[in-house]
Formats: sequence, C-alpha cells, structure tokens
Amino acid sequence: MSVWLAILGVAVSTFLLRASFIVFADPHRFPRRFRQALAFVPPAVLAAIVVPGLLLTSTGFDMTGANPRWIAGLLAIVACARWRNVIAGIATGMVALWLLQWAMG
Amino acid sequence: MPFGFVTGVASVSAGMTPFESIALSVLSFSGIAQLIAAQLIAAGAPVIVTVSAAFVVSLRFLMYSAAMAPCVAHLPLRWRLAISYLMTDQTFAATIRHYEAPGDKQHRHWRFIGSGLTLFVSWQAAVAFGALAGALVPASWSLDFAVTLSFIALLVPAVRSRADFAAAVVAGAVALVSAGLPYRLSLVVASIAGIAVGMALELRKEARK
Repeated sequence: MSVWLAILGVAVSTFLLRASFIVFADPHRFPRRFRQALAFVPPAVLAAIVVPGLLLTSTGFDMTGANPRWIAGLLAIVACARWRNVIAGIATGMVALWLLQWAMG
Repeated sequence: MPFGFVTGVASVSAGMTPFESIALSVLSFSGIAQLIAAQLIAAGAPVIVTVSAAFVVSLRFLMYSAAMAPCVAHLPLRWRLAISYLMTDQTFAATIRHYEAPGDKQHRHWRFIGSGLTLFVSWQAAVAFGALAGALVPASWSLDFAVTLSFIALLVPAVRSRADFAAAVVAGAVALVSAGLPYRLSLVVASIAGIAVGMALELRKEARK
C-alpha cells in the first residue's frame, strides 16, 4: 500500500513542478533572485548524483587506478564537452569502462 | 533510449515489481525521479522521504516551466496541461531554442508535442523492456553505469559559466562528504550547498559591476 502512496506522491510532485509556471503562475511575479537560484539547480543536483557515482565504490572513496568508473566518467565528460552529443558521451564512457574492466581482468 | 532501458533494469533490481516500475514510469515520466524513488521505495523509506527526494531532484522542472511559460501562455489549459506532463530535460533542451527564436509563435507547440510524444513512447517502451528483461542482464555488463553516464550527458551542457562550475564542484564535494547520511539525504544537502555557492558568486559578480 505504501508503495503505491509513494508512487502517487512522486507522480503528483513531479507534475506540479512541471505545471508550476505553465499552468498556475506568472514567472514574472516571482522575485528575480528566486529565478537566478533556480538556474543553479541542474548543475548542483546533477553533480550531486554524478560525483558519488564515479568516486564511491562498495569499499568507500576510491580515486585510484583500481576504480575504473571515475576514469571512464572523466573520458565521458571530455566526450560530452567535445562532441555535444548525448549518445557519443554515453557510448564513450561505457566502452571505456568495459575496456578498463577487461584490462584489469 | 538506453537510459530508459537502464532505468527499468535499475527499478526492478532495486526491488520493485515490473508492474510497479512501469506504473511509476508512466505516472512520473522522469528518469531521475524514477531512479531515486525506486531506490528509496525498495529500501522501505517512509513515503514522505521518497516524495521529498523526488521533489528535490525535480526542482529543475520549475526552471524549465518558468522558461516555457511565456511561450505557451496563449494556449488553452488542456494544451498547457499536456505540455507540462511531457516536459523533460531532453524535450526542453531540444525545443527551447526554437521557442526563443523570433517570429510567429502560434504553432510552435506542435514541435514540442511531437518531440515530447516521441520521447514518451520510446521512453515507456524502453522502461517496460528494461523492467521485464532486467533480471536477465548479467551484472558483469555494469549497465548501471549507463545511469551515471546519462546524468553526465545532462550535467556537461548545464555548466555554462564559472558560477555553474562552482555550484557543480561544491555539490559534488558535499555529496561525497555527506554520503553516509540515511535516505539519500546527502543529495538534498549537497544540492542546496551547490545552489548557495552558485548564488553567492552571482551576487558578488553583480556587486562588482
């Protein structure tokens, strides 16, 4: 039961955020500072998800050659910045991870 | 949609049933919110914790909604509801430049609806396929890494200024330090820290002018 409550809660909150200004409010009525702060949401939230995903392993913080994920992730960042293409970035990171894992046996 | 497939796989491997994973996907249509919610639901977190975490990662929709609002203000309510439901990182990124260009604005929502519906169908099919096939993919393929990579592909173009970069670095560092907090609270703490630093730099830049 609580699973379905959580699913509905997530659905309602994501929809209300999307509909916020489009359906309910005029963005110009909100303070400029608030809109400026919103612009930092994507870089902050995404980095807060990505960085631990690359540097934390099952044994904790690992930025050595024994953890292929941060190296593959770094290559993916370079690929995304260079080619500005989502598929190219994901493919670069995935292939790099497989090669590194294969090289380490 | 490799990301959709991975999201389906990840939801099921976290412990949700395929039916729950697909329902969550159709109702929320947001990969990041789905992934966070799947992990927390499977971990037995209280409903309020799951909903708050999904809320925080979805705050970026507020910004997209604010940017889109002036472009669609002339449309009737049912269109604006549909556009809200179909709003995603990808569709927003693909159509906002088109919207900001000068010229006739009457029919531009068709491009948004087209792009949004295409993504919706391929996303839901990919999630369903992932949720049903999830158990069959061997762990040695490290497909979960594709989730992190999809977020990198969104993060890189989102960093456009020095303040954006600082916000990302601080959020990443705080996320590492606070990783031990229960219920993925580190995500909330780190995001707020990153936004605060970005905002502080922005204010300092204005003060110098």
